Amino acid sequence: MADVEQVLRETVRKLLQEQKVCRVIGYARGSSALRSTPVFIEDEKDADSLVFDITCGNNLTQYLKKCGKAGDGRVGIVAKGCDGRAVVQYIAEGQVKREGILIIGIPCEGVLDHRKACDKTQGREVSEYRIEGEKVVLKGKDFEVSLDKFDVLSDSCRRCRYPSPPVHDVFITEPKEAASQEPECKEFDEFEKLDASERWAFFENEFSKCIRCYACRNACPMCYCEECFVDQSNPQWFGKSTDLSDTMIFHIVRVLHTAGRCVDCGACERACPLGINLGLLNKKVEKEIQERFGYTSGLDPDETPAMAAFDEEDKQEFIL
Amino acid sequence: MPDNCYIPIPVTVDKIREESDDKTLRTFDLSFCDEKQAFDYLPGQFCQLSVLGKGEAPFGIASSPTEKGFLRFTVNRVGVVTTALHYLKQGETIGLRGPLGNHYPVEKFKGQNVVIISGGFAFTTLRSLAVYMFAHRKDFADITVIYGARRPGLLLYRDELAEWEKRDDLNLHLTIDKEVSGWDKRVGFVPTVTKEVAPSPKDTWAVVCGPPVMIKYTLPVLFDLGFPPERIYTSLERRMKCGIGKCGRCNIGSKYVCADGPVFSYAELQELPEQY
Amino acid sequence: MSDILKLDKKRLDKFVAALLSEYRLFGPVEANGLTRFAEVESADALKLDSNTDESAKGIFFPQVETILTYENGKTETPSGPDKPIAVLGIRPCDARSLLMLDKVFGTGKYNDSCWTRRYENALIISVGCNTPRAGCFCNWLDLGPFSKQGSDIALTDIGDALLVESCSEKGRGFLESSDEIPFRKPTDDDLSKAAGVREHAESSMEDKVDISSIKAVLDKSWDSSLWDELAGKCLSCAVCAYLCPTCHCFDIQDEKMPGTSRGRRIRIWDTCMAPQFTKEASGHNPRPTGKKRIRQRVMHKFNYFVDVFGEIACVGCGRCVRSCPVNLDIRYVIKRFMDAG
Repeated sequence: MADVEQVLRETVRKLLQEQKVCRVIGYARGSSALRSTPVFIEDEKDADSLVFDITCGNNLTQYLKKCGKAGDGRVGIVAKGCDGRAVVQYIAEGQVKREGILIIGIPCEGVLDHRKACDKTQGREVSEYRIEGEKVVLKGKDFEVSLDKFDVLSDSCRRCRYPSPPVHDVFITEPKEAASQEPECKEFDEFEKLDASERWAFFENEFSKCIRCYACRNACPMCYCEECFVDQSNPQWFGKSTDLSDTMIFHIVRVLHTAGRCVDCGACERACPLGINLGLLNKKVEKEIQERFGYTSGLDPDETPAMAAFDEEDKQEFIL
Repeated sequence: MPDNCYIPIPVTVDKIREESDDKTLRTFDLSFCDEKQAFDYLPGQFCQLSVLGKGEAPFGIASSPTEKGFLRFTVNRVGVVTTALHYLKQGETIGLRGPLGNHYPVEKFKGQNVVIISGGFAFTTLRSLAVYMFAHRKDFADITVIYGARRPGLLLYRDELAEWEKRDDLNLHLTIDKEVSGWDKRVGFVPTVTKEVAPSPKDTWAVVCGPPVMIKYTLPVLFDLGFPPERIYTSLERRMKCGIGKCGRCNIGSKYVCADGPVFSYAELQELPEQY
Repeated sequence: MSDILKLDKKRLDKFVAALLSEYRLFGPVEANGLTRFAEVESADALKLDSNTDESAKGIFFPQVETILTYENGKTETPSGPDKPIAVLGIRPCDARSLLMLDKVFGTGKYNDSCWTRRYENALIISVGCNTPRAGCFCNWLDLGPFSKQGSDIALTDIGDALLVESCSEKGRGFLESSDEIPFRKPTDDDLSKAAGVREHAESSMEDKVDISSIKAVLDKSWDSSLWDELAGKCLSCAVCAYLCPTCHCFDIQDEKMPGTSRGRRIRIWDTCMAPQFTKEASGHNPRPTGKKRIRQRVMHKFNYFVDVFGEIACVGCGRCVRSCPVNLDIRYVIKRFMDAG
């Protein structure tokens, strides 16, 4: 990735120098070898703090609304495929203006699920890592482990079809073609084979871990409501406890609210401190939307989002 | 208070009075269902009132401990709990936790002059203070009350204020923002009136409660008149849940408004990092 | 040293049985891919070899606790626990945090009986951390992987056996009265093994940073531009607060069962990171921005708490470090302030 990083820094430096952007949202090295942290670069001198590697998991799109002050100039954003799709969805939903954003596409080979890596190293501090083909080698004070990259990748990356942003203004090295079809995902296939009651039991089990910290919601680029329905107090729609009925409603309403908008970036799942499998439900809803409305979110900024369009031909069998 | 400080004690709604002409303010006189649970308190303290199923909210006690047999609260209808309180009928039972917080330093006021400055519905605990001082009138020197509202119908406790006007041991200055027919008292904002009628700062303590904008413009007036921050007191409001310094939301710096306040001197507030 | 006993791990069941005869026992349990504290009824359920994903605070300060229930206007208060609580396998950082929470809930004018009725008579049995995890920084807080503050009994894992040491009168009392536990006298070899384990653990941690002046530094940092920088990336979620063993802010909520006269008043964890936390019914909010909220959280731990209780409200357990979705690492935050101040 070193080359990519060099090109990225050089590109950002130039964009700032030439005042094509007023700031760039990207990633900097975090507090350990396996963590990156969002960074906002305004001064070209700081461009060297930018990094890009498998630790860059945050979806940065959500910072666009925070970062773009009116009359400030364009905001650059370092975008993997899923970040790019979220930006496209923002444009389609009228959340940002296309001309206000400069999309810096970056080739993505999937990001690390920090929890998975942590499990494989018994929680020990990893001081460096390297990629060797399909292997990731993690090194700490008195250990070195070589792991299959696939095993520590985020679930959403394993089933990702769009490694590069569908729309970009500049690209760091070469964009990668979207896969002609969804990569095989055993986990999802098996999930789909479950009947309704088994699926319900699966989610009950997952959501029983929820502590209502809302990291999933807050990490999600699509959860940009000014006030989330769970936070409204007058009327208060449902309880704030961790009783299963309350946590289930939260997650179900959230997934319905992101239906046809979710880009399956996996930010929610990676943000969850308790490792709740949120991706399968998201993926299932995404698939429903594709089958019902032939719509895939985040690909075309000019296409009307599925939930904002009505077609008389839409399936309506659920209307009794 | 009960052993578990989160358990409210039951109180009965004895009287309900519409307090303002816009119907946003109601005054409730409450009495203890069980006399044994009655408590003593001092002006400036507050209670958490609760309606089952709706929740709790803090209210300053508007009655004076010298008035026996009832606790008085005036409730501004803004949220869920206050709306539920407004729907209460006479004879209904609600929950109460208290008395909570500190109080106006009445012991420091002894033998001294006191000027009470207030605007709008912040007058509640100041009524408590005034009535308390009337009941111990010999303990205090001159008492001045400057109280304003946007219009006459928004002044709290109007019948009582009319009685107070007859007192010769009180300098009462009522004011409204804009002239209306039938109003024969002062017209003007509280800070302006304060400038005109405030007593000399010598041996005088000021207690100021009102909307932020009133406080903002009244403080400089008091400072100009020579009141030191140590002798200006106010009562703060914050969102509260526990009311006893545990739940962590009403702090300003390292002070909890519920437990270390709600009454603070400006000297104390100047020590705090945040805007109050 | 004569106070130290030895217990073979395969006899842990006897220890657990002795505890169960007097206490409700809580310990780390692995389930659903997580290690969390749960009530246990046998030694087999315990997972003592790694710290829990969540802190131990929920044992004494549950995330959801019923204050009262009501029906037809009549209220009822749930009774307290029938037996005192014992915790087996808590880490030294969490054990220490309970002392801090006790200062908040158990001292001052008002005693929080929801807390004290659980904590007051509790028996805290900690197990030293043989392998501190990435992100652990208890050594910054004058603690270490084998600290005993807040523990009644401290265990050291030396492989096949545990060394057992009482650290309080309560702990000594329990050990002395429990004849049925087959304690043995540790050999010199056992003791040197323990010393080795401890040394290894301590040396595996990253270097200690002296943060004793952090309160004074923060006193001068109210207007620091660093708050803006932190707020820029902070997601305002509650991961840090809910995993934190010392965060104790809570909300009180009334819940009514629709269509009935039944309901409950509950106390639930809350977080100063949420905008609603301080928002008043009128709409006014004294801490409306992310900057003000993150400042509140850092100040509460490293400044206000020091002001009120004389110590920093952090035990360096590292949970927030490991789980913050944007790697807003509290160690880094503190270091930045120290460097600037």
